[in-house]
Parts: sequence; C-alpha cells; structure tokens
Amino acid sequence: MSSRYADLYLTESRDHLNAANAALLELERSPNATGPLEALFRAVHTVKGMSGVMGFGPVGELSHQMESVLAAIRDGATRLDADTLAVLFDATDALERAIAASVTGSDATPWTNEVLARLRGLVGACAPASSAAGLPRQSLPESMAAEALDVDVCLLADTSLPGARALLVLQRARSLGDIVAVAPPETAFLEPGFAGTFSFRLTTEARDADVERSVRAAGHVDRVALRRRSSPREVATPEASARGVDAWDAGHAHAPLERFVRIDLRRLDAMMNLAGELVIARSRLAQLASPYRDAELQDTMDQASRLIGDLQASILSTRMVPVWQVFDRFPRMVRDAARDAGREVVFEIVGREIELDRSLLEQIGDPIVHLLRNAVGHGLESPEERVAAGKPPAGRLILSAVRESSAVVIRVVDDGRGVDRAAVLMRAKAMNLVDADRETLSDDELLRHIARPGFSTAREVSALSGRGVGIDAVITRVRALGGALELRTRSGEGTTVSLRLPVTLAVIPALLALVGPETYALPLTHIRETIKLREDVCSTVRGRRVLLLRDEVLTLRALREVVGLPARDEAGGQVVVLEGAERRTGLIVDQILGQQEIVVKPFDPVRGASACFSGATILADGRPALIVEVSSLI
Amino acid sequence: MSQKVLICDDAVFMRTMLGDILQQAGFEIVGEAETGAQAVERYQELHPDLVTMDIVMPDMGGIDAVREITRKDPAARVLMCSAMGQQALVVEAIQAGAKDFVVKPFQPSRVLEAVQRVLG
Repeated sequence: MSSRYADLYLTESRDHLNAANAALLELERSPNATGPLEALFRAVHTVKGMSGVMGFGPVGELSHQMESVLAAIRDGATRLDADTLAVLFDATDALERAIAASVTGSDATPWTNEVLARLRGLVGACAPASSAAGLPRQSLPESMAAEALDVDVCLLADTSLPGARALLVLQRARSLGDIVAVAPPETAFLEPGFAGTFSFRLTTEARDADVERSVRAAGHVDRVALRRRSSPREVATPEASARGVDAWDAGHAHAPLERFVRIDLRRLDAMMNLAGELVIARSRLAQLASPYRDAELQDTMDQASRLIGDLQASILSTRMVPVWQVFDRFPRMVRDAARDAGREVVFEIVGREIELDRSLLEQIGDPIVHLLRNAVGHGLESPEERVAAGKPPAGRLILSAVRESSAVVIRVVDDGRGVDRAAVLMRAKAMNLVDADRETLSDDELLRHIARPGFSTAREVSALSGRGVGIDAVITRVRALGGALELRTRSGEGTTVSLRLPVTLAVIPALLALVGPETYALPLTHIRETIKLREDVCSTVRGRRVLLLRDEVLTLRALREVVGLPARDEAGGQVVVLEGAERRTGLIVDQILGQQEIVVKPFDPVRGASACFSGATILADGRPALIVEVSSLI
Repeated sequence: MSQKVLICDDAVFMRTMLGDILQQAGFEIVGEAETGAQAVERYQELHPDLVTMDIVMPDMGGIDAVREITRKDPAARVLMCSAMGQQALVVEAIQAGAKDFVVKPFQPSRVLEAVQRVLG
C-alpha cells in the first residue's frame, strides 16, 4: 500500500505508539495513577479507530483486546501488576509490528495471535463466566508444539558487512528450528542503511541459552534478547510461516521519521543550492547597484534582498525536524537496557523540541543509542554498588539537546562511576602511547586513547574504564557528520559525552584561507586553532617537518603542496591546527581571510584531481572556492 | 595434530599473508589454489579441515567454487575472504555454503576469530 493515507496512518500510529510506551513507563513507576492509564487508553483507541478505517483487521483486533484489558483495569476487574504490565508492553510491541506489516501489505497475524491470547487471559482470569467460552485452547499436547521465540539481535557497531553477518546469524539459528519471520526482511540486510539491528521469530525446542549461544557463535554479536512466546501453535502453522517470512518494523532508531508530504531530500538539496546561489547573486547585485544611488532601485534591491533571505531560511527549515522524532523511542530502549543489565535508571530527556537537519537526525540515532547503552551498561553501577558509594540506588541518565550558536549539542549525562583514568593510563603506557612517567591524563587525552580502535575493544580495559566497545565507531560517525565529540568524566561522579553537531549539512561554518591566488574553505568542525608560522615553532624530525605546539609534536604540511602549487617562501604564513579522531596536524597557509558560513555544493571529482577536496562553494564575490577534505590531511 | 588449511586466492601476496597468519597460529598450510577450478580440485585431493576462499578469482570464481565444494562435501568448512563493498557477493557465498567471512585488509585477530567460529 503506497497511498498517502497509508503514510499518514503510519506517521500517526507511531506518535500514538510512542505515547502508549510513555504511558506504560509512567504506569510502571506509579501503577495507581489514572492519568497514564487514560493516555494509554486514548492512544490504543485512536489506533483502533484508524485501523478500522484502513481495513487492517488484525491491528484492529489487537487494539480492541488491549482496550478491553485497560477497561478491566480501570474498573478494578483486572489488577495492574508486573505480569499485566509485561503483557501490555509486549502487546504494544506487537501492535507496532502488526501496523508495519499491515502497511506493507503483509500478514500481521503472526505478530498478534500470541499476544491476543495473553490479553484474553488477563481479562478471563478475573471474569470466570466468560473464560470457558473465550479461550478455545489448542488441543495439541504441549510437547508437540514447538516453542516460538522472538530474538532481537544487535551486532557490534564496527561490524564489517553487517548484512552478511546478520545472514550468518539466521543460518546458525536455522540449525535449531524454523524461522517464521524476519524483520527487517532479509532483502533489507543488503541496503546501505542496515546497521545490524534485526529480529526474527524462531520456532524451536532448543533452550534459550542454546539459542543465544548459537546466535553469538555467528560472531560480532553485541546484544541478544530473547522473548519466549507461550502460544506457538498459530505461528507455527505452515500457512503462517509461508506468509510470515515478511517484515515487521524493528523500530527503534531506524524507523522512518514523520512524513506528511514526502519530498525527496535531493529536491530540497537542489532548492537549497539554488537559494545559496541566489544569496551570492544578491550580494553581487547590491555591489553593482550601489554606485547608481537610485532610491527606487535601492528599495527594490532591499526588498529582493529580504525575500531572498527569507527564501533561504524557509528552505533550510523544511529540512529541520525536532529531535523528539528520534528521541521519543529512547525511554523504552533505556528501560529494556536497564533491565537487561540489572540497573535502576531514572531517564530524562531535555530539549526534545530542538531542531536538526533531518538527514543528520536520521544518522545520529544509532550513535546515541550506543552512548545510552554504554552509559546504562558500563557507566552506571548496580544498585548495591551505588548504595555502598553513598548514592541513591537508581542512576540518573539525561539525554539533552541544546542549541549553541550555529551548533546543536547533544549530551548523554550519567551519574555513574566515571571512566577509570588510572586503568586507561596504564593501558596507554603499555601500548607506548604516552610517556612512562606521566601521572595522569586529561579528559581529551582519555577520549583520544579510548577512541583508538583496538584500545577500547580490549575487554579488560572497557570493563575497567567503564566505557564499552565502539566509542571509536561513534566518533567516526559524528566526525563524518561534521561534528565533534567531547568527554568529561569524574571518578565516582559520572560521565558526560557531548556531541557537537552542525544544525545542517547544507550550510557549514568554514575558515577561508588564501594560498597563492586561490581561496580555500576549511570546515571549522575539524579546526582546533590557528597560529602564526614562526621559525621557533618549526623543527625537523627524521627528515619530516613538524610543529612544536606546547608539549606536542605535530606533523606539518603545506596546503600549497597539497593542492599542487609551486613552493615558495613561507615567511609570514599561518598554521591551521587540524584535529581528527586521534591526531592533529598543522597545515600551512599563506593567509587566513576569516570565518564564514558557506553553502556546500556537490562536487564531481575531475579525473586526475586531488582527492583532498570534498566539495565547492561560491564566495560572496562570485568566485568559487574548493572545500578541503580536512580528514584526508590528518 | 595441527589442522590442515587450503588457501585459495589469485594474489600471491594475499596467500602469503594469510598463510603466515594461520601458520603462526599453528595451522598447517597443505595447499594453495589460484583459481576456483584449482580450489575444487585441491579440495578433493587434500581434504583440508578449512578452506579460505577469495571471492574474485579467474577461471571459476570463489562463489562457484564454494558451491561445487559443498555440493561434493556438505560438511566442508569454507571461510570467505572479501573486500569492503562486496556484501552482495558475500551473501551469495554464504547461501552457496560458506560458513563465515573476513574482510580485507586482514587483521590477524579477526582472521583467527573467524577461523575459530568456522571450526568451532
């Protein structure tokens, strides 16, 4: 189904499901509150109504049954205990999957049947009169029915070819039973967006531990979650299997964002580009018009100027979406992660209305999930440890978004044990990364070492340092988006990881530098500082030029050489200190012209051209400038 | 007794590198093959415990070779060696019967982990 109603339905359902999950989390904290119960009721009821209109029977039936249970709870006929909550959580998950399946036109019943029986059981348990008729039990003896198990798998963040790895996981699982459904469908494993998070339903007689062992044996598996389904008969039928090997949306950070009107991002990019050129043309026109001192011309110029500015701003704003579209999925994820890890967590989201470029937001979901999981699993201590350390048993975890001038800063803050500085220092010494007589590491050095591939993956260090594997993968992603990552940690008090991201990828702040007759743009995100080129800061080590910057020795390169211009006297030049994930490099330029927002234009590399340019921009005077791919120089 | 490995790759460099990694870990390199057809032939001669298989080789590629080898010996243990960006081919190889894969450039630890998974 590809009608715009389906899109609307999907978008709205997601909002209601998010609301339902939020209400369930609230109920888990305070079971007697009526507010969240009503919110849950409303959410489920709305989904039911919409599903009826769409003709999605299984979704309608499931939401109807949820409603019955909620009504029974409200009327005091069913108790809201942990078991009931667990069924409601599962039912909400099933609802999400059933909705996704229905929208893609596939059969949703594999996701609803089992949880429907459990929901009926809840109402039935306290209403004996209806139970005999209401629960037609399968007459199969228990031993004949293979058990259905839902398996959620998350591969390590740095897994190569995650699609192929996921396939190996499925193959291993197939040796234990039949896979009756996979989500996202196997064909999606090969898509570039597939990051290694997937689920499948397995009918098997194997024990949970054996299933988990088998899944992990496929390699590169980060997390496995198993959920046992108690009523397997329906999903185990051959028809269901045949139809069921379809999709349900694994949801989480991968779900598509709200989309009332679908516009190809490339069209917006094209408009953004045109608006950028218009802005440049505007300044040239203003320059040309000023000598004429014609009031009417000036008025018209001013008006056009304003309109062009508004046009650019409004095109930019079409790309912006509030972060809650991704963030609102996290409370549930944090809760589940906390349960798995045996942690108590009070999770808070701040600044959910802050807006980010949509393509950026889509790509930042995974790194945030990673940081949150790390914080829950490694940063926060167990309730016992916390109490022993004089802290409240429940750890605090805050995810915040703040707009800071031209950047959005996303922070993951925990009040856990903090990174073990001594352990990292010891490891860094063992790897000859720091001098043997160093006594401590700064936060920045700490991050640089932890981020070194192969450093944090050393198991004993990640356990000690309190950071799990994969921070290097997070940094790589954030850097690729033109952002930067910062770590602040205090032993025993907690850790804050900040992601500083540009608001948009279409317009970036850059430093303009002159080399010979040409102007080059260097994206600011990779620039740490600029200094004057003086003889006393330069030296030569083993035939290579280096820059002595405070207590550090940096490789020194000349942009002039990089772009292939003839060498010349560098006296009076300046050095831009570039910073990558682990290393810094000094780059010599003739002159620094200043800082400016530039419109990034796609760039088709010419044959034989240097690979050191990532794009081009047009300056206010109409001349083009190449954007230097800074990370290639570090 | 150490386990026997057959290395299939059309590049001498890759064969040498893989051979060194595996030998240092105590495996015995019983043979090498430069083409898919050779790989199938050598497999039948040598009955190795493990085969490492490059995907792109002249005269029958690695995927066809895996298919042929596992057709004759369903218990064959084949580890694919792939470059980044060959995901579709790796998937095809797995469907043809390969048990695991490693991605170039090779890190010895990654190679040995994959070998353990295949043999384990």
